[in-house]
Amino acid sequence: MNKFIKGLAVSALAFSMSAGVALAEKTVLISGWGAQSGPLKSFGINSETILKAAVDKINADGGVKLKDGSMAKMVYEYYDSRCNAEEGIALARKTATTTNTLIAIGPTCSGVAAASFGVFQKKVDDAGDTGLQMPLFTNTAVRNGLAKISQWTFRNTPNEPDMYDKLFAWIAKTRPELKTVYGGTETDQGHSAGTYRIVIIPAAVRHGFEWSEGPIEGVTGKIGEGADNVQKASSNWLMADTSFSVQARAFKKSKADIFVISSHPFTTCGILKELARQKASPKLIVGLTSSSSAEVMKGCPKQAEGMIIPTSFAPVTPEAKAVADVAAANGASADLHSAAAWENVMIIKDVMETVGVSANGENLQADRRAIRDGLEALKTTAGLIGTVTRNQEEGEALKPYVFVHAKGGNWEVLHDPR
Amino acid sequence: MDYYLGVFQTIGVHTLLGLSAYILLLTGQVSMAQIGFFAIGAYSSGVLTVIFSWNIYPALAFGALLASFFAFLVGFPALRVKGLMLVIATIAFSEIVRLITFNFVWMVEKDGIMVGAEGAQGFREIRYFTTNGWDSSQVVLLIWIFVAIVMAMLWWLDRVKAGAVLRAVGNDELAAQSSGINLTTVKVAAMTAGGFIAGLGGGLYAHAVSYVDHITFTILMATFAISYPILGGTKNVFGTLLAVIFIQGILIEAFRFLEDWRLIIFGLLIILVMNFMPDGLVSIFKKSNPGKGN
Amino acid sequence: MNIEFIDIVQALIDGILYGSTYALIGLGFTLIFGAMEKLNMAYAASSIGGAYVGLGVSVLLSLPLYAIFLIGPIGGGLLSVLVYICCFRYLPSNNHLAALMASIGGLFFIDEIISHETDGSPLDFPELGIFSEAYFEIEFSDMFLGFRGDLIFVMFASFLAMLMLMYLLYRTRLGLATRAVSQQPIAAQLCGISIHQTNSVTFILAGVLGGIAGCLAAASVGVISPLLVLPLTVKGLVVTVIGGLGSIRGAIIAGLLVGGLESVFLLLRGVNERDIYVFLLLFVFLVFRPNGFFGAEIDRD
Repeated sequence: MNKFIKGLAVSALAFSMSAGVALAEKTVLISGWGAQSGPLKSFGINSETILKAAVDKINADGGVKLKDGSMAKMVYEYYDSRCNAEEGIALARKTATTTNTLIAIGPTCSGVAAASFGVFQKKVDDAGDTGLQMPLFTNTAVRNGLAKISQWTFRNTPNEPDMYDKLFAWIAKTRPELKTVYGGTETDQGHSAGTYRIVIIPAAVRHGFEWSEGPIEGVTGKIGEGADNVQKASSNWLMADTSFSVQARAFKKSKADIFVISSHPFTTCGILKELARQKASPKLIVGLTSSSSAEVMKGCPKQAEGMIIPTSFAPVTPEAKAVADVAAANGASADLHSAAAWENVMIIKDVMETVGVSANGENLQADRRAIRDGLEALKTTAGLIGTVTRNQEEGEALKPYVFVHAKGGNWEVLHDPR
Repeated sequence: MDYYLGVFQTIGVHTLLGLSAYILLLTGQVSMAQIGFFAIGAYSSGVLTVIFSWNIYPALAFGALLASFFAFLVGFPALRVKGLMLVIATIAFSEIVRLITFNFVWMVEKDGIMVGAEGAQGFREIRYFTTNGWDSSQVVLLIWIFVAIVMAMLWWLDRVKAGAVLRAVGNDELAAQSSGINLTTVKVAAMTAGGFIAGLGGGLYAHAVSYVDHITFTILMATFAISYPILGGTKNVFGTLLAVIFIQGILIEAFRFLEDWRLIIFGLLIILVMNFMPDGLVSIFKKSNPGKGN
Repeated sequence: MNIEFIDIVQALIDGILYGSTYALIGLGFTLIFGAMEKLNMAYAASSIGGAYVGLGVSVLLSLPLYAIFLIGPIGGGLLSVLVYICCFRYLPSNNHLAALMASIGGLFFIDEIISHETDGSPLDFPELGIFSEAYFEIEFSDMFLGFRGDLIFVMFASFLAMLMLMYLLYRTRLGLATRAVSQQPIAAQLCGISIHQTNSVTFILAGVLGGIAGCLAAASVGVISPLLVLPLTVKGLVVTVIGGLGSIRGAIIAGLLVGGLESVFLLLRGVNERDIYVFLLLFVFLVFRPNGFFGAEIDRD
């Protein structure tokens, strides 16, 4: 109900402002959107909470320094895109063409990202391309290879190929008794299925783990090779599935040392519970980055015990801990997706100050372009758990990471390679 | 400005989807298959412009024709089931189409990158409009020309004998049959026409949005498709338009600040409208509200 | 994985056992259809809603876990009668479309309220105590066939529900009234039977059943999430049609059949194609045997 009332208040405020009350203050506006309704709403809620906390922090420290040397407050607007492609696009257009948004953060769902990145201009300065020209800096949608869709889109999301590569290298080194691997994925979700086929299993093969039923044709360990065969060789499920008997039996029958479960929290818990019921006990379970969140700990803390996941966020530094605390204090949780919202806001502030922008949307288009160029020029950025390297060819990030495992109802850091 | 144009695009596309369900409702058929036809139109025209580099117009035409061909095929078995059973049969059809798009992979290399449909990863970069220099107002114009043509045709249909035939079948099949109307022809024709309109809408959707995947075509969208004409009422074509503007324009866009209360209110509104205006929103504009039966 | 015959048998067993949750949901759909010839699209939503009410109340009042399975059905019954009042009671009885649409509104409403209250996050749902720990294995020429104890319990529960419903419908005054209203509403009214009262009782009955089904389904998965609603709605509809709209026996048999076949399709063809075959099966039934297995047991003129 609070949000409802807050929304009414905000719109009343917006109305009174548009009714002629002049703004005494200088502001710079950033916008964000993500799923805040439906079954995936926790992503949007967590992102907004942390985005707000970061903006508050910046304003408490004085705000953003403008081109003319004066200070401006940072303000933000956050919208619900319902995990719906049409709405994501509507919001990209809304913020780009009806607001003074200098840069946007979002969305949370990879499907929405794939769709809304497509309405941005593909290459800057291409006069023949009528796509939107506003920088977008994503914190959550993590599906492989999205940001290169447009030169206006950037991401600060974990680099899964790198993380799983290092994870299996580490497992191979520290647990030499583990030899074989088997797994499954949630095939109707682009992120979980894509990462599983293209990234995780090839990474395991690359580091010498054998598929428990003999080599999969075409899978050499190179990213993406033989991806279709990986999926065919595995036991998979759909995002809304509730019965996992057949899949769990295949897992058990494989007698593999390592089970890979590339799935979002709801089905991760479903398959883990069924594995426990059938007493299938692998020596190790590897999960999908997105499942290293509070949801799994709410849904199946006991069965997840011991599952290892690489993540780009854990409260291992004072900064990271502070963000986790501020999120928890506001009823949200900081995880590898939402915590990136904090980093994004901080990066945006730095870029704005470096390139020099004007307040209240004066020189809007020039400022947007300057921010875009400023973002593209970054080689590294400061992250919550360490320095983030940027791959500007593709607009993606190479983030520091840790390996966490489920222990006693919490995600605990198992290995910290930083 | 672009934003409002975008909203008009959405309203236009959804109006086509709603009208495709409207024409079937006239014959008394509640079809959840419209989203299946929509998906066929979206994927086939997308494949044509992206993989075969067709011009947009023949691609849209092909998408609409392919969808209407499938609608024609569905029309025959659908004759055997009526009322609520048809709802379920058409859900089955739409889900089958959705699951096929979910398994549908057709990618080719173009200018060094892979383009096309990639199963669950969706069909990205259907960028005909942006790469050919269309701006949003031109896209809106294109969509609304089609909407206007379809609405005009349906409006005209209601003024000639064919419309009376459709409604006669909708009101009382037996009576219609005994007055010499061939039920098979009428119902299959309505299904085919509905498929064409939905396929056209799907083609426009795919190109306006630039990305489609199977999640776009779930039962939720099928429900939206039938909810437009049912909420708007089947008295005339404007009811559907009114309902689309009401849901997509007002409820979803203008009430954005309500966050997830929007969907909760959406559910409540459907219930309220059905309770107080079982003949749909257009009944507001009628002087005397027909008394509720029973 | 190379698939042997025993794997198919095992998949069939797994599926049939899991199908008992479909059967329970199908029962509710068919009961309401039998009474009113209307589809209550909000039925699976109110069933899962009931399970949520049970979980919520038990956690808030820190009641013992089994209380969920008592409060859940009560919650289901209340939600169901609420759906009746909002989506059926005041709508023109001959307007099937309006009722269908209104109950879809009810489905959205309940589903989104659940998402709103839980932030969309899946919640741990207590399993069925000793039943969930029970896992039977039968040796079969050095292979093993496994049976889940909790699902055997669910299966017995659905058979019990079927028998109780049949008893209620065919052996009690209440059942007589329900059948009368469904077959000859006007004549029934003339005999002094209140249509709305009878329909309310049918909805409460279906809702309680739904609450049980929702709790048992959630308990057998071990997790509850608003994601359960749509698949259960669709599976419930499929089961109801294949069993024959209005047929109680049919719903049970079709539930087990759909569960079993789905599981075998999954094993043989993979998850991406599984549902295509289920829907094709439904389509075939609709076209060639529109009355399902048992037609309508409650005949209507």
